[in-house]
Amino acid sequence: MRIRPGFVAAAAVAITFACGRPALAQSAAELFDQNTIQEIRLSVNSRDLRTLRANTQLNTYYTADLQWKNVKVRNVGIRSRGQGSRNPVKPGLRVDMARYTTGQTFVGLSTIILDNIWQDDSLIRERLAFTIFEMMGQPAPRESYCRLFINNEYFGLYTITEEIDADFAKRVTGETDGTIFEYHWFADRQWHAEDLGDIANYKVLLEPRTHTLDADSTLYGPIQQMFKEVNSPDDAVWRSRVEQYIDLNQLMTHIAIEQYLADNDGFLGAQGMNNFYLYRFKDTQRHRLFVWDRDQSFLFPPDSPIATTDGNVLFRRAMAYPDLRETYLKALEECARLSAADNFLSLEIDRLAAVIFEAAAADTKKQWAADPTRFDMAVDFLRDFAARRPAQVLAAVDRIRKTGS
Amino acid sequence: MPLILPTAALLVVLTRPDAGKTPPQESSQQAEPSDKTTKKKDTPKEKKPREEYPSFRLDDHPSIHFGKGTHLDFRARFAADHADSEASTADPVEASSIDLGKKRLGVSGEIRNAVEFQIEAELTDTDPWRDVYGEFKYFDVARVRGGKFKIPFSLDENTGASRLDFMFRSLAATHLAPGRDQGVMVHGRVLKKLIGYEAGIFQHDGKNARTNNPAKVFGGRTQAARVTVEPLRHVKNAVGDLSVGVALTRSDDLPEGISGLRGQTVLEQNFFTGNNYIVNGSRRRLGIEMQFRPGPASIKSEWMRVETDRRGESVEDTDLSPIVGEGWYVSGTVAITGEKKAAVDRPKKPLFQGGVGAIEVGARVESLRFSSGSSGETPSRGPRADTIVGNRDQATTFGVNWYINRFFKIQANFIREKLDDPSQGPLPSKASFTTKAIRFQFSL
Repeated sequence: MRIRPGFVAAAAVAITFACGRPALAQSAAELFDQNTIQEIRLSVNSRDLRTLRANTQLNTYYTADLQWKNVKVRNVGIRSRGQGSRNPVKPGLRVDMARYTTGQTFVGLSTIILDNIWQDDSLIRERLAFTIFEMMGQPAPRESYCRLFINNEYFGLYTITEEIDADFAKRVTGETDGTIFEYHWFADRQWHAEDLGDIANYKVLLEPRTHTLDADSTLYGPIQQMFKEVNSPDDAVWRSRVEQYIDLNQLMTHIAIEQYLADNDGFLGAQGMNNFYLYRFKDTQRHRLFVWDRDQSFLFPPDSPIATTDGNVLFRRAMAYPDLRETYLKALEECARLSAADNFLSLEIDRLAAVIFEAAAADTKKQWAADPTRFDMAVDFLRDFAARRPAQVLAAVDRIRKTGS
Repeated sequence: MPLILPTAALLVVLTRPDAGKTPPQESSQQAEPSDKTTKKKDTPKEKKPREEYPSFRLDDHPSIHFGKGTHLDFRARFAADHADSEASTADPVEASSIDLGKKRLGVSGEIRNAVEFQIEAELTDTDPWRDVYGEFKYFDVARVRGGKFKIPFSLDENTGASRLDFMFRSLAATHLAPGRDQGVMVHGRVLKKLIGYEAGIFQHDGKNARTNNPAKVFGGRTQAARVTVEPLRHVKNAVGDLSVGVALTRSDDLPEGISGLRGQTVLEQNFFTGNNYIVNGSRRRLGIEMQFRPGPASIKSEWMRVETDRRGESVEDTDLSPIVGEGWYVSGTVAITGEKKAAVDRPKKPLFQGGVGAIEVGARVESLRFSSGSSGETPSRGPRADTIVGNRDQATTFGVNWYINRFFKIQANFIREKLDDPSQGPLPSKASFTTKAIRFQFSL
């Protein structure tokens, strides 16, 4: 058989392309795959690691190399993070890819959080909570589990959590230039949406994560004005004025999900507002909330009550409007319906528990490592919650509609 | 400003026709090759009358002589600078201001021609002591000096401040040469003074490598050596004034910390922001120098390199490539009034004494660069990055020096600087910038 030269050339080109194709690049979607446990390795100078662990209350950055699969990112900045979860045994870490190398990213991300899941003995509360938020149409950070090795020592089971930054905002809103504020909780500045007056008081609580070079008046003027209107005495104009500054329907949905999840540390937190980011839409003065840090979800039993009023001025006054109240109650019903449908929440608990089981068992640095029954008991608590919470909430909503409380 | 009036008064006194009539040689600087072309006088020897002691003289400096070979000299230097730079600091007052910071007083002398000493202090400095040393000089081939003085490295750094060709020392000498420290040194000239040598041990690696920041570290015990050769010394004309040399230092026990070496522009604004790179181990310097002074002209050049170790400083506790500082300059001057270079600061015809003093023009091109030994990865500002984000400053200086008489000197400089990475410099969006500066100097 005679082989034509054109065929040979085409075959050669095909073989060249096949052999010369670069290794498949890893992606953020793979990193946040919730069906598996990733393995993250950090190399940190031993003196830096000792210093970091001895000073976990400080936000000092240290240089590290990060490795995930065949992706190696050199000279990233790591620092201790968290509030009550800061500890030297299993430090929570913020990993900033561009801290020292301008424009450097890791699978397209400029920052990731390595959450030590310190205060959650089930290790899956936050992941479950974020799932419910996502099912309710509320964007939440992407998150997956990883075994974290630092200098080849297993530091335990962590979550890799997407940071709420400009990339996150672009992913969930499509906007590229909105303004993000991270809310910081302080024990001596517990805030229930009162009018704080001077811009300086807002500046302490809300740290800009984008537009960091903008003037204070540009950054905080709309926030100052929003809480001035939230606390204005004139009920007749309250709704129209406040809605200029915040999406009240989104706010009520956000709070409803927190209430469904029996969360004690959210917008209606027992010690003031906590664990949210405030996002200002591009070229507007209007804001919305993004959820953050849900390891205190599922904290109370499934029959814990649903709030209808609160010390929080914004929620209390919004509940006075029937349509906003109905938004709130419908969101509660939707949470119950979604989590009960096809036993979704129960099955998700079982699935996540199975995914992390081995890594969690091997995690000798977790807070309750000395008591191996804590993990099982915590997961059992969640299973009970998933089984009984939908009916409890639906009954509570029905009662609220009938009696008002 | 309080110095203006006394300075003006001194100007009147010292520019009288009988002042400084017989300009003598400045006392020897170990860094400056001796100027044999100006030592000899053609005037026939006269029998000197027997001198009575103690006596006061105005030779190199005002001095009191207590006996043959025993005298005490008084030294002073006052300088006022005015600089106007495009790369000004945020505070415009600081960017364009009269600097009266250079006020130095001191004494020096000899005891029986066997011991030499010098004590000099900066009046406004927080660390006032400059040269404080004694020297046993009985044997020319091996003089022993102890105290605080300049480590023998770099021709430019070891040139006295009052005798600089330009207002500011070269960037390399300012930031890479070690400067003063406490130590002991042996120096001398051998082989019919063909070769000069200096070798010493010092407590640290000099003041230039230190800052006020306690987080920044500097070298521990430092060994230094410098050899200069005057290969044409036997030539009996101006062409013979050629000197070449090599110097090196080694500092051990550099503790872990941020390097104290600075990358700064001529007006000492940072252009190398990688000041947070962690170093550890030893520091080594190597310098090569050349000076040629044919008659009224001069050419001077140096190259120097400083390597600072980063032992065990990688994220894996292994060694990183050293931080490297490298600099060079080439400069030239010519006295358009004809004075020989070695004596240009003692004009033949001072102002008000039948002349205008000595006028000298000069130019210098130079470079100072910081980098790391590695280039294998994306440069990073990480304190433990193997490949660091370096930078380079290239400067060109044009200058005019007017030596009014042996005491007064006015210098004017025009400096053009260019940064490889302006984002680290004083003007992040502008790579090139100019500085104009003038200095009024009185030295005694």
